[in-house]
Amino acid sequence: MNMSWSRIKGVFLRYFYTLKDFHQLSDLFYWPLVDILLWGLTSIWIQHQNNVPNLPLILMTALIFWQVTWRGAIGISFNLLQEFWHRNLVNLFSTPLKLSEWICGTLLLGFCKLFASIAFGILVVYLLYALNVFTVGWAFIPFAALLFMFGWSVGFLSSGLIIYWGNKVEMFAWMMPFLFAPFSAVFYPVDVLPWWAQGIAWCLPTTYVFEGMRQILAGGVFPWSYFWISLALNCVFIYLAILFFQTMFKKSLVKGLARLE
Amino acid sequence: MPIVLSAQDLKKVYPGDPPVHAVNGVTFELKEREILGLLGPNGSGKTTTIQMLMGTLSHTAGSIIYFGKDLTENRSEVMQHVAFASTYTSLPWLLTLAENLEVFGYLYGMNRKESFAAFEPLLERFGIIDKKNHRVSTLSAGQVTRLMLVKAFFIKPRIVLLDEPTASLDPDIAHDICNFILEQRDQHGVSILFTSHKMEEVMAICDRAIFLKQGKIIADDTPRKLAKSVSTFKLKLTIPDGMKRATALAEQRGYKYVIEHRSLEIMLEEENIPPFLHALSHAGVCYVGIKIEEPSLEDFFLQIARKEKKSA
Repeated sequence: MNMSWSRIKGVFLRYFYTLKDFHQLSDLFYWPLVDILLWGLTSIWIQHQNNVPNLPLILMTALIFWQVTWRGAIGISFNLLQEFWHRNLVNLFSTPLKLSEWICGTLLLGFCKLFASIAFGILVVYLLYALNVFTVGWAFIPFAALLFMFGWSVGFLSSGLIIYWGNKVEMFAWMMPFLFAPFSAVFYPVDVLPWWAQGIAWCLPTTYVFEGMRQILAGGVFPWSYFWISLALNCVFIYLAILFFQTMFKKSLVKGLARLE
Repeated sequence: MPIVLSAQDLKKVYPGDPPVHAVNGVTFELKEREILGLLGPNGSGKTTTIQMLMGTLSHTAGSIIYFGKDLTENRSEVMQHVAFASTYTSLPWLLTLAENLEVFGYLYGMNRKESFAAFEPLLERFGIIDKKNHRVSTLSAGQVTRLMLVKAFFIKPRIVLLDEPTASLDPDIAHDICNFILEQRDQHGVSILFTSHKMEEVMAICDRAIFLKQGKIIADDTPRKLAKSVSTFKLKLTIPDGMKRATALAEQRGYKYVIEHRSLEIMLEEENIPPFLHALSHAGVCYVGIKIEEPSLEDFFLQIARKEKKSA
């Protein structure tokens, strides 16, 4: 086979030069770090347990619950990104459309997509592993709502960055939710985390949901205190996140939306 | 005619070191049923001005008034009657033409039935009705541009902002679009703000043209008057015999001229053409070919561009 070293070098450089982009760097460092943290801590917890009842159910329920958060976040930022990719942002915001109306429309769609996605996930878990996520009972609904709310907050946060810095930070849409995953104690209890990380964890509304979910699966009652704390924190987070998004949108108007397409 | 859009002392300063004054005190008005050309070299502030008029770029100072209402305070209300189309934007590729237009109909408060009734004749007018249920990704660049125009006009706007609507089109389609713009003005009373680099189009359809240079208005008049302000008529004569007598007459009247073989090109005002031709005849100069070239907006544009290069 006759291959040209010069052409191979050309191809190598073509992709090497893109490594200076933020999203390429995230591929190199961020995702491995998130995986190591999440699955490392989960492994440590499992290793130290002699007899955890319902372990597969705990992990599968956590997985489905995490999907709720992720879907909530993606629902907002992905829609925004689509307008960049299709050069439609200026078209949209040159109409009478208000930012608040755009937010409501995307949230409504996100809600519909969430239902479809969760229903599919629950069905697959049941069919493949014979595990019934509804073991947590009616608590599934308020827990899912709390996680979805937090997903919105994360979505507004990443969208705020994207509307200002544009495509070059589009990876935030996918990265941002996972920034909170290790601290949210999705697959392991909070006390597995180091003390400083536990401090952060108890400031996140998601932590209370996942801790509560494990309590119920361990045979406990619905943790009302966790529910109320999570709801209060969610209200603060979503208010701040929307404020952040609106501020960044206004800041972006100073530079112009056309530059983002 | 009532004024539908008024920009007063509009300024846009991009922060930086040093700050960039993209638009610097632009004041103009757009009247009902008027087609106003917004012209100027690249970087003169045309697109920045249009973006500010749509509210997708905030202005640093000044005011934008539509139908007597301030854009900043009544954005949603006034934009109900304002539409925009540009060669440089697109629509979601994975949606069909009908789906895209239906979405925009809803954004302007029209239901599905109203939208279809409004956009189908326009798709037909532009020869893309057969693509109605095709995805935008299947359209050619020229078809996308026509779709953008349908998007702008089917909502029955009172004002349309057009950013180089004919930039990527073949001459025959571009000509058709110019006719369409005139139809919309004449039949529906739409006011249009129009940017273009094609000076012959501006000459053909604009009632008035504003020239921007380095963010400032340097001229505001009818295209014909602007063209005449920098250039005279060119009288081209083919003279087999009597060239010396003809040039002597031109010199006598103080006209500039150029001789090329048997062709004489004389620069003079329109009203001086008949007396000059009469004088030639009186002097026994015989010409076998005659051509009169009007001053063009192109000349005006080129003069501005040259001055800009010199100052740079």
